[in-house]
Amino acid sequence: MALSKDVYTAFEDVVGPEYICADPVIMPSYHSTEFAAVILPENTAEVQAIVRLCNQYKIVFRPICTGWTGTFAKGTILLDLRRMNRIVEINEKNMYAVVEPYVITAQLQAELMKRGLHLNVKGAGTNCSAMLRGHGHLDQTTSGDDRNHLAIEWVTPTGDIVRSGSLGSADEWFCGDGPGPSLRSILTSAVPPGVTPGVFTKAALKIYHWPGPARFPIQGVSPNYSLSEIPPNFMARYYSFPSVEKMWQAERKIGESEIAFELMGFNVAMVAANITTCNEEEEQMFRQLSQAVQGPGFFVIIAGNSAPDFEYKKRVLQQIVGESEGKSLTQLENPRLEGILLCQCVRISASIRETFRPGGAFKSIPIMGQRDLTIKWAIGAGQAKLPLIEKGLIVDDGGAFFGWGVEQGHVGKTEIFCKFDPQNETAAKAVEQWQKEQGDRAFRERYFASLMGEKNPDISKGMCNYDVWWRKIQEALDPNRVSPEPGALV
Amino acid sequence: MAAAASPASVALAGTDTTQAALDAYAKDISFVNPVRPAGVVRPKNAEEVQRIVEFANRTRTPLVPVSSGPPHFRGDTVPSVGGATIVDLSGMKRIINVQRANRVAMCEPGVTFGELIAEVTKHGLRLNMPLLPRKTKSVVGSLLGREPVVMPKYQWDISDPLACAGLFFGTGDEFRTGQAAGPGTIEEQWAVGGMQKAPYGPGTPSLHRLIQGAQGTMGIVTWASMRCELRPSLEEPFVLGASQLEPLLELAYWLVRLRMANECFILNSTNLAAIFAQDFPNAYQNLKATLPPWILFYTVAGYEYLPEERVGSQLKDITTITQRLGVEPVRAAGAVSANALLRAVQQPSEEPYWKLRPKGACQDVFYLTMYEKLESQVAAMSDLAEKAGYPAANLGVYIQPVVQATSYHCEFNLFYDPENRQERMRVKEISSLAIGSLMGKGAFFSRPYGETAGAVLNRDAATIAVLKTFKQIFDPNQVMNPGKLCF
Amino acid sequence: MGLEQYKGDMEMCCRCSDCKFVPMQQVGGFQFANVCPSISKYNFHSYSGGGRLNIGADMLKNGMTYTDKLLDIVYNCQMCGACGASCNYAMDMEVNEPISEFRIRCVKDGRTNPALDKTIAGLRQHGSMVPVAGKRGDWAAGLGLKDATREKVDVLYHVGCLTSYDPNLQKLAQATAKILLKAGVNFGIAGDAEVCCGGRAYQMGYQEDFLAQARKNMALVKQAGVKTVVTACADGYQAFKVLYDKFHLKDGLEVLHISEYVARLIHEGKLTLENRIDLSVTYHDPCRLGRLGEPWVHWQGKKVPGDRFVFDPPKTYRRGTYGVYQPPRDVLQSIPGIKLTEMARIKEYAWCCGAGGGVSDSNPEFAQWTAQERIEEAAATGADALVTACPWCERTFEQAIRATGSRLKVYDIVELVEKAIA
Repeated sequence: MALSKDVYTAFEDVVGPEYICADPVIMPSYHSTEFAAVILPENTAEVQAIVRLCNQYKIVFRPICTGWTGTFAKGTILLDLRRMNRIVEINEKNMYAVVEPYVITAQLQAELMKRGLHLNVKGAGTNCSAMLRGHGHLDQTTSGDDRNHLAIEWVTPTGDIVRSGSLGSADEWFCGDGPGPSLRSILTSAVPPGVTPGVFTKAALKIYHWPGPARFPIQGVSPNYSLSEIPPNFMARYYSFPSVEKMWQAERKIGESEIAFELMGFNVAMVAANITTCNEEEEQMFRQLSQAVQGPGFFVIIAGNSAPDFEYKKRVLQQIVGESEGKSLTQLENPRLEGILLCQCVRISASIRETFRPGGAFKSIPIMGQRDLTIKWAIGAGQAKLPLIEKGLIVDDGGAFFGWGVEQGHVGKTEIFCKFDPQNETAAKAVEQWQKEQGDRAFRERYFASLMGEKNPDISKGMCNYDVWWRKIQEALDPNRVSPEPGALV
Repeated sequence: MAAAASPASVALAGTDTTQAALDAYAKDISFVNPVRPAGVVRPKNAEEVQRIVEFANRTRTPLVPVSSGPPHFRGDTVPSVGGATIVDLSGMKRIINVQRANRVAMCEPGVTFGELIAEVTKHGLRLNMPLLPRKTKSVVGSLLGREPVVMPKYQWDISDPLACAGLFFGTGDEFRTGQAAGPGTIEEQWAVGGMQKAPYGPGTPSLHRLIQGAQGTMGIVTWASMRCELRPSLEEPFVLGASQLEPLLELAYWLVRLRMANECFILNSTNLAAIFAQDFPNAYQNLKATLPPWILFYTVAGYEYLPEERVGSQLKDITTITQRLGVEPVRAAGAVSANALLRAVQQPSEEPYWKLRPKGACQDVFYLTMYEKLESQVAAMSDLAEKAGYPAANLGVYIQPVVQATSYHCEFNLFYDPENRQERMRVKEISSLAIGSLMGKGAFFSRPYGETAGAVLNRDAATIAVLKTFKQIFDPNQVMNPGKLCF
Repeated sequence: MGLEQYKGDMEMCCRCSDCKFVPMQQVGGFQFANVCPSISKYNFHSYSGGGRLNIGADMLKNGMTYTDKLLDIVYNCQMCGACGASCNYAMDMEVNEPISEFRIRCVKDGRTNPALDKTIAGLRQHGSMVPVAGKRGDWAAGLGLKDATREKVDVLYHVGCLTSYDPNLQKLAQATAKILLKAGVNFGIAGDAEVCCGGRAYQMGYQEDFLAQARKNMALVKQAGVKTVVTACADGYQAFKVLYDKFHLKDGLEVLHISEYVARLIHEGKLTLENRIDLSVTYHDPCRLGRLGEPWVHWQGKKVPGDRFVFDPPKTYRRGTYGVYQPPRDVLQSIPGIKLTEMARIKEYAWCCGAGGGVSDSNPEFAQWTAQERIEEAAATGADALVTACPWCERTFEQAIRATGSRLKVYDIVELVEKAIA
């Protein structure tokens, strides 16, 4: 849907001719949507000006960052935030960092690591925005979801600039809440949000202590990176257990004893994906590892703040694993593989090898919440994958699911996905069907509500009409409806 | 004399309109103007609360929710407008659920800290609680007030330890936040093992953050769940005294950053003495004289697995830090032992409430701030107090790292004799002047109460505009505690 | 052949954005995290490797749509291969090949860039990618080098257009020759008979012109009866070693870059680097010696039906792993007095000099922008000099240093080796 010349000029006047484009040829690189234009603002003032124009001309807009996924309405003005990529501040004494949207996690992480700090890394990968709301492998010690944001600078759907918490009152970034009720009640998704309307233009993020080296000692040439040594006071292991119950018992105790830097409930398919450099190698490795494990398991990174701390944590880990009849995957005791997985989980967050490489597409059901509850559900969802595996419609991962503890196991994340060939329509339909059935079952049996995809009024009704309230909030904040859902997740 | 109650509140069954009741809620220890309510209702359950809110909407009766028993300190439980009905929830005393496996407890608003601590202890759990709350303080009220808690390591988010809440918005609609929202009823969730632990959502909004800090202006909470921590099997408390704040702040920073301390906070000698003195003023002065000006308190703990080894390795690591700082933590600060302080802070305050013991009344000035601004703010407040005729030496100070030391709760306690008009006026003046002065030094009054809230709120028009949008959605008839905050 | 064979690869792109950055575990800070000059300068996602694949997939499906913007995207790419190297850390899919094929398709469809047309016209007329002055073999005057077209030699030294004709860079050809002479190598040059390898024409999208050059060169090689070609130009190296092999023209020829050859000669004791050079340096990996210089892998097969993107027979992807990275470093470190400090972006994730893909002709400003980014990175190491192994890189860096007033010096590795052996 083309913009008229006058309207295009109005936007062009804000950013300059080289930072706006309405040529349809570029659109396939932005999710093949007929955008009205793609525009690249440089700073908050430009974002504000653009949003105000969108309100004036009643044009829908969405922000996008690295742009991994997204669905957008035709005629949307897409704000590609690539030029907003500054690290504004790293405040070690108050344990926060402030970034613009296009600082990717890897960049901020590298700067933090030099300073003995680090941050939560989302499962979408360190190639994505640092200010993303999300959950990832390091949640055990670095929290997740909407709990890592402090103050946020937000351009509202009507083009006002709101600075939450201490930022608005004291011009400081350390707190995102108040005065009075917190705007973080709705500022729960960071830029590339599909969800909070408007645009986050800066955010303060909690940062954490990093007991590791300023840089991992990586050797080799891609894709064969490995560590020349395991950093002092670090250990990474994979443990399998005879049953989900035993695994959960061990996971729970590890959380309560606060010994794990990371606890990632990988299945061996994911381990295999991460430590191999191609699909064929992965298939072989998966078969090999499947023979070596006794059941479900998890990957643990122990990181000591000191040698005594490290020794203590290892001893406790040994005890807990022993009590739960856990078995270490000996292949991962090889320092080369240990180092690969250690580095992969911290500096990359795995992701692409385990999700996209095998079949090019995957659909998942992720749930953040109460871990033991979601494990219960996931067992059934995993069993429901087996017929699809038998028919060759999805990658054989043994029907596995995965997940991890968050905040030393106080809450958790469970996810189960199906990897498939996107060109195979039968497979795609079967996966969609599985997703729907398992989501419906989760709701029916009162485990949780899967809120992805199309809005379902029955689900909202069964969830205290949360969506009714959310729509009221959206309508109030966005009277011209120029900042709708859905949009990009990253 | 019967209250000039609105015909509407008289029509609500069970409304108490006795003089004594109305007078009791007409004022509190703070400096807010006394305003007598028209009536007091004391619901016993959620259904009654819903009927009250629906009634209030029909009749436009202002409601003032109250969870804790008296005395009240903040002014938020005193009506700001006439014709209000106090909704006293302190009689809703059900401890609904405690579960060790998910480290969670759930209770009604009338449950106090003492009551809940006794119950969670049986399950091997403990609360992350504020510093020495008064005996009548409601746990739910504290959670909703975003009060700082003494174990910053376990406070991942400013909303902690609140998990989920069940409430009625100002519209009368029922809502449950977070995991509790659904699917199904709470009982159905329990049946499958759901324990209302995860606070975020459902969907985009995390509305537990909306009701916190709201002073009852968005709705009435009828229960809350909260995360609990494990009871340690071994605890080693320490104190570190100093004449300057800096070394204590530095050590506290590392204790929290490295996640080595459970309880971790700083008091000045005025406050520590107030907590432990047996009588005033003599024993208090004698005790205070033994104390260093500033005291950092922290506990190193072990749990189920190898507790001695855990404590041992952490103490070694702490020693590395203290040696670098040139300080030495000890087991007693003057005449106060670390053990005694540990025992004290794991319970609510003994009666009388410690803040009332020195002089009978206390006005708190508190805010959030950054590490590097604390010292100048403390100096500024001391100066201001001195100039106003309040000796800085009598000012209580409490510094609490919060949200894993991403910020610091700084609290000044101004003790005064409520019968002494001059003292009272002086403290009122100081607490008012302090707001502007401290804001000028970077203080963020995230929880503004009373008459000075306006000065705070006026700083951030953009946020206020959004909050008013929320208010219009969740309480369009403005029945929920009107006159508080910006509403 | 052509773009169609890469349909599946282009559709595999999941838009993860890895192609814009160095591999994540190699990101060492905020600065120097980018690896793609094109998107770093032009910012729209379309300019990234992934963006190009997305567009390619769409146009294969819906037909080619040529607009000025599309051509701007296509031709403002140094074809440096960094996107492919970063992507292929994790993904099994072709990246560089479809990007190259898209450009070839543009040229076939007559959608060329006028500046590149002009360059190719020169190639067709003079067998050179640079303006000619004098004769191609003039640089060798007085060196007494053997004529490989007339005398029996073991090694053909292919000089390349730039060092043959550019008076500022002929010193590199002379240095290379002196090194080979010093080592006693039985080598010769084709002199005036030498013609362009065609590598840069291929980068620019002119596949037919490349093939014409390739055939001419291989005819000369066959006629000379040599089994080994040595070159000091990365573009020439990639042409002979990789591209000729891709089109089944290489015929078992051994192809060595001078840095590889010098490393071998040192190892065999035929060359000793004795003279001390007290210089702190940093080394720039030329794209076509490094990640794009790894051997071609011949593969033919079909996708295995099913849920995985795997092939029968299994496909080996060229991920930049086997480029020439270590030999130049070994050579530098064997020169007494040289202190080597690495830049942030090296080896398979090195930042391009800016000259490739025809950009130095079609958009000199962009080429210079790219080079200046690299100069800044080199200066950040604290080194006095930037050493490279390709005359195109050296020329581009020299221009950037003059433009920015940087105090850095630029050397080709052969210059330092020549000094070390004299």
